[in-house]
Amino acid sequence: MWALPALPAAGFVFLLLTSQFLPRKGDYVAIGLMLAAFVLVLITGKNVADAIGDRSLSLADCFNVGGCPLAGSERSWDWFSVPGYIDIRIGTYVDQITLVMLFCVTFVGLMVMIYSTGYLRGDRRYGWFYAIVSLFIASMLTLVIADNLLLLYGAWELVGLCSMLLIGYYNDRQSAAEAAKKAFVTTRVGDVGLLIGIIILFVQTHTFNIQQILAMAEAGEIPREWLTASAVLIFAGACGKSAQFPLHVWLPDAMEGPTPVSALIHAATMVVAGVYLVARMLPLMEVVRGMPELITGIGLATTILAALIGLAQRDIKRVVAYSTLNSLGLMMVALGSGAVGAAMLYLFAHAFFKALLFLSAGSVIHATEEQDVDRLGGLWSKLPITGPVFVVGALAMAGLIPLSGYWAKDEILVGLRHGHLTPIVLAATVISLPITALYMARVVMLTFFGAPKDAHVFEHAHESPPSMTLPTVLLAVLAIVSGFVVFEGVGEALGFHSGWMGFVYNLAEGPEEFSVDWTLSLLSVVLVGLGLAGGYWIWHGDAAPARRAAAFSPAGYRLLLNRFYIDEAYQWAIDHVVLAAGQVVAVFDRAIVNDTGVQGTGETTSFFGWLGKYSQTGRLPNYALAIVVGIAVIVIVAFGYRG
Amino acid sequence: MEVVSQEIPLEHFVMLSMVLFSIGVYGVLARRNAVLILMSVELMLNAVSINLVAFAVYTAPSLFVGIIFAIFVITIAAAEVGLALAVVLRVFRNRGTSNVDEVNALKW
Repeated sequence: MWALPALPAAGFVFLLLTSQFLPRKGDYVAIGLMLAAFVLVLITGKNVADAIGDRSLSLADCFNVGGCPLAGSERSWDWFSVPGYIDIRIGTYVDQITLVMLFCVTFVGLMVMIYSTGYLRGDRRYGWFYAIVSLFIASMLTLVIADNLLLLYGAWELVGLCSMLLIGYYNDRQSAAEAAKKAFVTTRVGDVGLLIGIIILFVQTHTFNIQQILAMAEAGEIPREWLTASAVLIFAGACGKSAQFPLHVWLPDAMEGPTPVSALIHAATMVVAGVYLVARMLPLMEVVRGMPELITGIGLATTILAALIGLAQRDIKRVVAYSTLNSLGLMMVALGSGAVGAAMLYLFAHAFFKALLFLSAGSVIHATEEQDVDRLGGLWSKLPITGPVFVVGALAMAGLIPLSGYWAKDEILVGLRHGHLTPIVLAATVISLPITALYMARVVMLTFFGAPKDAHVFEHAHESPPSMTLPTVLLAVLAIVSGFVVFEGVGEALGFHSGWMGFVYNLAEGPEEFSVDWTLSLLSVVLVGLGLAGGYWIWHGDAAPARRAAAFSPAGYRLLLNRFYIDEAYQWAIDHVVLAAGQVVAVFDRAIVNDTGVQGTGETTSFFGWLGKYSQTGRLPNYALAIVVGIAVIVIVAFGYRG
Repeated sequence: MEVVSQEIPLEHFVMLSMVLFSIGVYGVLARRNAVLILMSVELMLNAVSINLVAFAVYTAPSLFVGIIFAIFVITIAAAEVGLALAVVLRVFRNRGTSNVDEVNALKW
């Protein structure tokens, strides 16, 4: 397994050292290693799937609560040890969730690298880009296959670092630097939580090994209050990375990075690291009372908030970014209700259609040099490849039958229905569906249809080179078909024994057959259809109904356009709370630490030196007297002491 | 050696040494002439030497440690006086005085 992250890591080191001396800055090295890693994933995936399938889980076991753990293969060896106190083993743990992640990361990574040869051709920091993307993929793979929390945390931070570096890729742009800083600091808020959570777990269990911790948590060997604290803190880390509601503000700003980076990191891979972590630690989370409800609640808030904000955003990449928030929230909702299989299926499908959306949005930007949907329009005929693939991505995101988004979303709905949470969650999730469809329809209508709003932009639009369209077409195919793995036959044909749902075990239900809940399916199809039709009606032509809606409630429109003023609220909080507290600290630092502590010590010494210098009279008899008196005193004291 | 110890007790040597040392201390503190101060220092050194020899003879006659030590003291005192007199001489040449009260430039 170690070869997997080692390949792109080698690419990183190699490119960092040599890329500027190679023709094409050595992008073929990165792509070649990435391809090797992808092939390796396929091979190990086949092996592990076989191994897991052979273990032939019995259904009866799995209906007992906690009786059917995710089957995985585990290997480890000594990392470092303090004799007599602690042994830390490093190792890999591969199960179904891991495989899904591995496949998504390497495939999307490969597509993005190929795409970038066109998108970033001739850019100033081209070699640097490939080096950092390689490092990012290496750390993401490490994160996924790590069997202990320490290694996972290290990879987690590396991923965050790469994200920051790539958001700030255009380092001559102030806004990019700001966005990179914002992303780093915001995710750090969650990361600190994750670190504290890991430390708590370590102190309580004396191991970093995830499986052992989960086993101890389920056996109730960890005190309840510590377990609750660590679960909440680890979820905080996942919230930061997966941009869940209170910490979601960095993701839309991360669109300052190059579009391939947005596709790779802020859609398909890094942001789902949080989802992965929650899925991995779910047995621990479920032991804590109220934790599933918390996860679901946060996810639901993120979903609905993002869907509403997505309705009014004008930057095409920001719309897609908010749709990512929407999807991530949905995954959290699924995890909260225990539907791991559904969440992972959604993650799997989402990786493809969201990468597709970003890459084709990037293709639009590349073609027109314009990101504002209010200045695009009528590009359908100009972009004969980008247009259709973007529409495919948008429809998959909206969840139109029979694209991948539909099956995944439907699975989540079924999971919610069978889960133990209140029907309100299901209702709220269902309500978010037409909104999603509505804004996806909006961005498609405004970008590709209607009259061109800016003649100059329209005139200069041209289709992107094949290196950019080819990955989008491949992803579009996957966005259409990847949902079909839910069918047992298709799953088996791909080597997943007993289909996807049997493969990725659904905790609440046992390894269930893919079931169609006809009521829910019909409802979601109707709602999505309504949303799409509504979107078409509102924004077709010159989008008159949209303007009427905005005019009808200007306050509401501004609220959405300004993202519910959450960023402003944070800014206010930073200005008035953080900086005010900083003022107090600054005064303390200046007055107490510096003036009194540092300066004061020096000045006191200096003062006594000034006083003491007058003892140096320069007169020999004074010194002689001092010597004699001194000796006399010493003698008296010494003899007095001896009695 | 035995003869000496029977005729004069150790206390007398110690008394002599003490008196000599005290006179030396008084000279160092009271005199203002650098040469006289040096001579007083010599008195103190001699007092110490007497002490060393006397105790060596009375307490460990077979060992010559104290006596050898006294010889070292005498040697180093000679060197010290040579050096100090040279310094005093230079001071006198430069400033026309050997009064230590007037030689007080080395101060704050």
